[in-house]
Amino acid sequence: MFNPFEDFKDFLSKAKGLPLDQLAAAHDQVIGELARGYGKLVEQELKSLVWFVEHNRVIEAYKTATEVIQGIDYDAHSIEDFCYVLDSGTGIPYLISGPAGIYVAALCNHTSDDQIVLRLGDMQRTLHFLGYRLPYGKSLRIEGDAGNFTGSALQGGEINVTGSTGDWTGAGMTDGKITIHQHCGRNTGEWMQGGEIWVGSRIRGLGRMTAGRIYQSGEPVAGDVLR
Amino acid sequence: MEEQEKVSQQVRKLQGLLEQVWPEVRRRHLFPEIPMPRFESNPSPVAMEMRNKQIILNLEYVKTMSSILPAATVLEALLDHGISHYTCCPWDLSTHLKFYARAKQILEEGDLARKATDLFMDIVADTHAVKERQSSLPLLYKSGARTGFEEIICSLYQRIWGVDLGCPREDGTVKRLATIPYLDKRRWMASLSRFIRGIRPLLEEADSPVPNEHTRMGKHGFQQYAPEEIEQALRHFALEAESPGQFADVVEDLQTQLEEVNQDVDEGMGHGAGSPVDANRLYYMKLAENYALPLRKKNMKGSGHLHPHSHRPWEVCQPFQDLDPWCSFGKYLPGITQIWQRREGQIYGKKEKTPNCLVIIDSSGSMIDPRTHLSYAVLGGGCAADSYLRHDAEVAVYNFSDAPAGGSEYLPFTRSRSLIYQVLCRYFGGGTALDLDEVTGVAEASEADIFLITDMQITNLDQTISRFSSLHNRVTAVHVGKKSGALRFIKASVKNENISVFGVNSSNDIPLIVLGSARTYLAQE
Repeated sequence: MFNPFEDFKDFLSKAKGLPLDQLAAAHDQVIGELARGYGKLVEQELKSLVWFVEHNRVIEAYKTATEVIQGIDYDAHSIEDFCYVLDSGTGIPYLISGPAGIYVAALCNHTSDDQIVLRLGDMQRTLHFLGYRLPYGKSLRIEGDAGNFTGSALQGGEINVTGSTGDWTGAGMTDGKITIHQHCGRNTGEWMQGGEIWVGSRIRGLGRMTAGRIYQSGEPVAGDVLR
Repeated sequence: MEEQEKVSQQVRKLQGLLEQVWPEVRRRHLFPEIPMPRFESNPSPVAMEMRNKQIILNLEYVKTMSSILPAATVLEALLDHGISHYTCCPWDLSTHLKFYARAKQILEEGDLARKATDLFMDIVADTHAVKERQSSLPLLYKSGARTGFEEIICSLYQRIWGVDLGCPREDGTVKRLATIPYLDKRRWMASLSRFIRGIRPLLEEADSPVPNEHTRMGKHGFQQYAPEEIEQALRHFALEAESPGQFADVVEDLQTQLEEVNQDVDEGMGHGAGSPVDANRLYYMKLAENYALPLRKKNMKGSGHLHPHSHRPWEVCQPFQDLDPWCSFGKYLPGITQIWQRREGQIYGKKEKTPNCLVIIDSSGSMIDPRTHLSYAVLGGGCAADSYLRHDAEVAVYNFSDAPAGGSEYLPFTRSRSLIYQVLCRYFGGGTALDLDEVTGVAEASEADIFLITDMQITNLDQTISRFSSLHNRVTAVHVGKKSGALRFIKASVKNENISVFGVNSSNDIPLIVLGSARTYLAQE
């Protein structure tokens, strides 16, 4: 009897192992660890079912975030990829802008890279608290829009936002520079104790500052320069 | 002369080698259904292209590379690349369109989106060939001159394939791109997004080293797909597009290429010369092809059969198959020879027939603008029109807003799908008043079914209901959205057996519409 598969007797199709498999798997593992860390943070923060912005809560959340990310080997690109995983909802069914932003800020502050670029223009939602407590020597460039409390408690770092930010930009910052190419929201520079905020377009409202300077379209509008 | 002889000998040798190499390559790729490749001379540095599934190798490129590598190796590598595009990525035009749409969404510029999509597909295809099909592509990439951009891609290949391609440069971009799971088909869209984010700075650089022919493998246009594939792909893409705007955005960018493939997208039949396409109209035409509404036939006065009725003199321009030589004095002369004139039988036949259809569509301000968002009214009207056309009937369209004030457009009975959709997609955005005299005049003159689709927020709704109730035509009324006017229409039409009312709140409700049904169905609320 004729075997129609006779021609394929010697046919061997061996898939070759490529380094790509290990590289992709390693990256997925890092993202998985970051996601688990975020899950732990959210679990901790949502014990009271509601998360609202309150000074001590934010500090506690940042402290928890710093603890959960210890031991994770990630880089600046992983942070951006993690933001998109958060936004897509795959594997992480909830994105709560406040804790998520604090978590991302903790990741930025503790990465070994000094220059971090986050291309967030394609995200459906904006994250709050980006650049929170960014220390001296680090620079964070955000391509796209950022949410509320961008650069709050800035500690000497440099933040560059190519889009717009929300309210409370630079709240409580002590040093450093925030550059926003488009416009920002209300209470800009509230509780500011130093540093500079440069806004390219409109400022919806200024906050009560202790020190520091705010510029709009290159012209000083508030702060030490006016005294 | 000797030179020419040498060249033609070389070409014959390459052709012979191709005939030897092709069966083995095809076997390695598990016998894909594509025709035998051929050579073509092209002075550009592009190695190959694909047209209607056939791989066309650049003879000049092969000759150049044959001086560095064995010709068989060059041919195998190029064929591996071409076949991988067919068997792996993008596989079909539908996937290609999805890639392009996603890239366009991120990059917001057609040219950049095309480049990014082409690069991504090349990387996936090459990596698949190297991993699964023991391809000699690494040897090809290691040899020959490279553009600046090719250096980056080769560095990436060096890292992800684990082979030495002689590329010293490995920067942050390459490290980032190397972590993308290119071969995981389920994650292609996410991978493409990551790839674009990684490669974007290079693409956008003012003095970018990315020329139009960014790599030796050339651009990936639509010429590699068959016209039938394009039809199907547009249909799928219409279903998956987020909005008519996104569909129009992609189709308008690729319109030139569609025309090049001689795609007559207006009629959607894949024939004839290409013509400029109204992308919005095309969107609804393709989307409506995904639905088939059932249609009930009815007994009609005409039997549907044509029978010879009377004679008239024959002229040269008229067909000769109906000539009657017995009444023509045996002569075939214009004016003397008689031709049969056929008429439809007036017997009240038992055979059911599909009547024509008058589609009345509301495009007032309360209805969705079909250009910006998916309009269920236009989609429903299109599905109904297609259903009647498939049953060899004719369709007329009456698009109204504030008809007494001139906000209406009427298309007489026709079988031209393109014209029907053109009128359906028209959006007035004004008030809502139906010119009942005009509409019922058309309906009464013919035995046509009436398909009315509206949100029932018609100013003269009561007159409309009473006028339709008095008609003998079958009326299928579809109300879009939940509005109080629909309840009034439903209550008024309960007693009329010739009126059926359906509700559409999402695209899942459209297949539930039964055209010309004899009983009234209460709409879902």
